[in-house]
Parts: sequence; structure tokens; C-alpha cells
Amino acid sequence: MTINLHTNENPYLPGADIKKAAQKGLENINRYSNPEHLSELKTLLGKYNNIASDRIFISHGSDLLIREIINVFSTNRKIVMVNPSFFPVTQYASEQARRITKMKLSPPDFELDSTLLLNELNEPALLILDNPNNPTGKVLIDDKLAEQILKNKDVLLLVDEAYYEFSGFTLASLIEKYPNLAVTRTMDKAFSLAGLRVGYLLMGDYFKAYFSDFRVNISTPAIFAATEALKKPEYMKDNRDKIVSEKIRIENELLKKGFQVFPGKANFILIKTNSIDFNKKLFDKNILVYNLSNDWLNGYYRITVGLPEENDMLLTKIEKISNNT
Amino acid sequence: MKKIGLIVNPIAGMGGSVGLKGTDGEVYKKALELGAQPVTPQRIEETLSVVNRKDLFFIVAPGKMGEDFIRKFDFKYEVVSAIDKKTNADDTKRIIREMVEKGIELLVFVGGDGTARDVYDVLGLTIPVVGIPSGVKMFSPVFALSTFAAAEIINNTSEQIIEKEVLDIDEKAFRDGKLGAELYGYLNVPKNLNLLQSKKEPSNVSKPDKISKEEISQYILEHIENDVLYILGPGTTLATIASKIGVEKTLLGIDAVYSAQIVGKDLNEKGLLDLLNKYNKIKIIVTPIGGNGFIFGRASKQFTPAVLNAIGEENIIVVATDDKISRLECLRVDTGDDGTDNRLKGHMKVITGYKTETLIEVK
Repeated sequence: MTINLHTNENPYLPGADIKKAAQKGLENINRYSNPEHLSELKTLLGKYNNIASDRIFISHGSDLLIREIINVFSTNRKIVMVNPSFFPVTQYASEQARRITKMKLSPPDFELDSTLLLNELNEPALLILDNPNNPTGKVLIDDKLAEQILKNKDVLLLVDEAYYEFSGFTLASLIEKYPNLAVTRTMDKAFSLAGLRVGYLLMGDYFKAYFSDFRVNISTPAIFAATEALKKPEYMKDNRDKIVSEKIRIENELLKKGFQVFPGKANFILIKTNSIDFNKKLFDKNILVYNLSNDWLNGYYRITVGLPEENDMLLTKIEKISNNT
Repeated sequence: MKKIGLIVNPIAGMGGSVGLKGTDGEVYKKALELGAQPVTPQRIEETLSVVNRKDLFFIVAPGKMGEDFIRKFDFKYEVVSAIDKKTNADDTKRIIREMVEKGIELLVFVGGDGTARDVYDVLGLTIPVVGIPSGVKMFSPVFALSTFAAAEIINNTSEQIIEKEVLDIDEKAFRDGKLGAELYGYLNVPKNLNLLQSKKEPSNVSKPDKISKEEISQYILEHIENDVLYILGPGTTLATIASKIGVEKTLLGIDAVYSAQIVGKDLNEKGLLDLLNKYNKIKIIVTPIGGNGFIFGRASKQFTPAVLNAIGEENIIVVATDDKISRLECLRVDTGDDGTDNRLKGHMKVITGYKTETLIEVK
């Protein structure tokens, strides 16, 4: 059986209560989702994020929200983003936007230069950042820089915080203050609900106005599971702590083996190795990691933290590969 | 059935194991004296063992140049031409020509930079190639990243093609610890679709190379100023721009265009300096070398410090496809003059498509 360490999923299943709640959601699948159930989920998300629930919009995965924002809010604006990142910038958005400026993050630090960034925001712009960044795991902006950006009313800032629970850093507290801020989140990662796709948006006033008449697009089993998950979030915290602890263990082991390891704040590890066909050699041993060599920088791979036994297997196989080359 | 040519440079890579940097010319004899062993058999067999397409028909070079390896597998194949015991670059070129006559749609070659140059001499930008890395010197981005990556490219059915540079490394200088690289040409390479993983790419917008070049060219065309002399560096992106302007450009040379007319072709430093004296407003358009990111100091040495200083760094326009720029850590300059290099260092915007740019560090 293949060990999947390439899609940044959570290796732990959610608890039995959550699965039971999802199953309960199947009882009336001939009906659309009940607004009351949705409202309860929004209330819980509001509490979880310490934000008014009317500033939350829920969707089937955060990708759809990001795509919608890029498509709608890029018109007559410059899109500013970083390379690498996986944002879905469509051909439509490219045509509507004034232009697209990508800021290249370079090794070994992958830092986003704040002066260069602010220089790029001298005209109406939509700045899209993933914080922490995928695949570097780097936290690209802090509160101070975010506020500097947001004070410019011509700039809309969309920050994807898919890995918030791992980084511990969020801009959610700025949502009330800045109408031009939007933050996307997901319960796919830390809450172990990738298969149900529960994404949500925290909206500053500017975005709230647009999404106010937007139809909610999420299934009842997903609503029920997410609601149950938020009622007992301890499981998420326990799993997150285990993942973070395993991440540190893998990083240390890889460093000992001579790999270049880039410290990140998510549930994955970016590494560089000169071992040719590293991912293929692991694939042959039924371990799948993400090869960034073909579309980004040669020799770079992203490894999702798995279960301890999967990580042990990974390290053992890497040891064997290293001994054979 | 898809017809694929397969040719192996049997001596490529032999210099590496005995500490010689390459096997060009007489160095091969020395490598043999030092007990060098062939490395190509392992490379080609590693690749062929993971090629799993059933619709392939190989047109193979004879003996140690191909046939000896493919016969160990189940592929359908036909051998072309004949060779003597000792083979050289002329054999490689002659056999590839025969393969072209047989109607190959893709050429798989095994070798190093020298072999890539021989392949370019025959094919240019006609039939796409897959280069299996086996030489000591493989600075040309034309090679697949590994033997497995080469197999992935052969297995995929993508029609997407990317032009990759063939570099001419000065082997003698390389042995002396210096790296001198000239742009020798371009070969078409099918895009690797990463068959082991999903198609989502970290470069955000992935477009076929050809469309990227068209978009870059259209954008440049719309921003051309009629009273400016444009000096176009080497490369296919620049050739596409020239074509959009309506002129034909030297692929590997430096040409000058003014008011949609060629006013200088294949210019050297003197030719460039003469033009700089004649025209008031001048801009350079260049593209980095894939893989290492050099914009000046490699491939286009005619852009000397004297030329660059006369033009000014504010008049340099850099263009590159999204794919190329995504694979670079940074841009690089090495003009041989620290003052010029320092003026060029910092950050630069590279035009990567229509209304699309990447801000990247220059080192």
C-alpha cells in the first residue's frame, strides 16, 4: 500500500463522533442544506476565530473561494502574488487584470522583501498571499506589514491561511478594522476533513458586500461533521501537536543525513537533495512525495508529515537510498 | 505506432570516473588509458526499463550506439545504418539523418553536451528530442533531469514542446577549473508532465511555451517606441519577438532593429559600439539561459561591460517564459567587470507573458 506524503493531508482520522455526524447528514440528502444548520456552523466558526459570524462565508473547499475572489476582484487591478504558490489564477482573471506581477521567493531564505512588495502596491491591486507559503512553509507577512498594506485603500489583500493551525499565526483580528482584507481557511488540514472539503472565508466589509447574496455551496454531511469537529476541537489540537512533533523529528533526521531542510510552519517539510530521482526511488518503495524539480527548482521536494510509523518507513527508505548512491 | 529514434554516444561520461572533465577529442584516449568504464549502458537501461508505452516503434542505431541495449527489452524496433568499431561525432550525425528519413517523430539520445551539439547540428528545431543525461559535462538544459524523468517524457503523450538551450562548454577551460559557456543552439523537448503527481504547478499559470513566447512578443510589440534602437540578444524568444515586429533575426546572434527594420545583424562588440554612437535612444532585450539564469557574461559575450555601460541598466528589458523563470533561483551576471556586475545586481522585472512579469533577484 502506498504511503501518501505528497498532498499535505492530515494522516489522522477524525473521531467516531464526527464520522457519525457526517453519516447523520446523509439522512435527508434529497433536501438542500438547512439554513439553521449552516447558521450553527457559522456561529461555531465565529467563536473559533473570535470574529462575528456574519463575517464568515462557508464553501465547499477554500479553492472555490480563492478562485471567485481572484476572478471578481482582479478586474482593473494589478494582481500581485509570489512564485512559488499554487493559487488558481484563471485565464479570465489574467485578461481582466491590469497585469500580474509575481515576486520570486529565492532560496535559501525564501523571504518576501517588504520594501519591494510595498513598491509594487502603488496602483489598485489585489495582493494574494498564502501565509504560510506552500511549498516553502514560510510565514511571509506579519501583522505590522499587513497593516501597512491594508492602510492603502486601493489594495485588496487576500491571505490564504490553510495551515493556520500549524503556524499559529493569523490576520483574523484585523478583519473588523480593514474592509479590504479577506482571509481564507480550511478544515481540510488540521481538522482532518479533506474528504468533505469545508472551506470558509473571513471577510472585511468590502468582501462581505459581494458575498452577501452569494449562494452557499456545501453539503449537509460536511456541515454536520464540521459542526461536531468545532464542538470538540481538542482532537485537532492533539493531532496537530503530534504532527508538529513528528515534523521536528523528521527534520532533525534528514539534517543528520545531509539533506538541506527549510524550516517551515506547516504540516510539510521542504527539502533539497542532490540524490537523482529521489522521488522515483521512494515511489519504488511505495512512498509518494511531491517532486518540485520539474516545474520549480531542481532537487527540491515537499514531504507531508505522516503517521509516526509512516515517517519511520520514510526515514528507513531514505537511509537505504542514501547507502545505495 | 509512434516512431522514435534511439542513439547512444558509447563513450559519453567515461571521463568522469577517471577525473577528466569530458571526452572531447584526444581526451577519450587518455580516459581509456586510465581505465575508464562506459556509463551509458546503465543510463539507457535505467530509462528503457520504465518506458511502458505500447505504441512505440524504435528506429535504432547499430551495435553499441543503440541496438545492444534495446534488444534486452520487448520493444519493436528496426536498426538503421552501420558503424565501424570506432565511432565519432560524424557517425552520430549521419545516423540521425537516416532516422529522419525513416520518419522518426521523437529522438532519444544518450550522451553529454557534445552529443547534444551533434544532435542540434542535424535536427535544429525540427523533431523533438529527449536527452538522457550520461556525459560528464551536462550544462545544457536540454537534458532530462534524470534517467527516470527521460522515461516519463517518453511515456507521456503531451504535445507540449519547450525549447531548451544547447550550450558549448569550453572543455579545456573546464578542465582548468573555468566555466566558459557559449549558446550553441536550441532543441525542442516535450514537456515533462510529472506523471507521478497531480498537474497543479507551483508556477501558478502554466501555458505552453509557444503561447508564452507569442504573448511576450505581442506585449513587447505593443510597447515598442519608434525612435528607439532595439538590440535583440540571442534566443528563440527574441526570434519570436523579431518575427512579430516583422523582421528575421539571427537565432544565436545579436541583431539591431530600428523602426521595424534590421539595421545590424550578428553584431560583435565593435558593431554594437558603432551603433551606440549613431542612435540616441537604445534598449537591449535579452532572455536568461535556462538552468543557470545568466543574462550577461555567458552565451552573449558581445554584450561587454563597455556596451552595457553605454546603454545603461535602465534600458535593459529581460524576457522569459513562465516555465523558464519558475525554474531559476535567480538571474545572474558575470561580465568580467565588478563595477558593471554590481550595477546590474539587485532586482529586475522579467516580462513572462502578456501583462505578466516576475520580479526576481539578480546575483
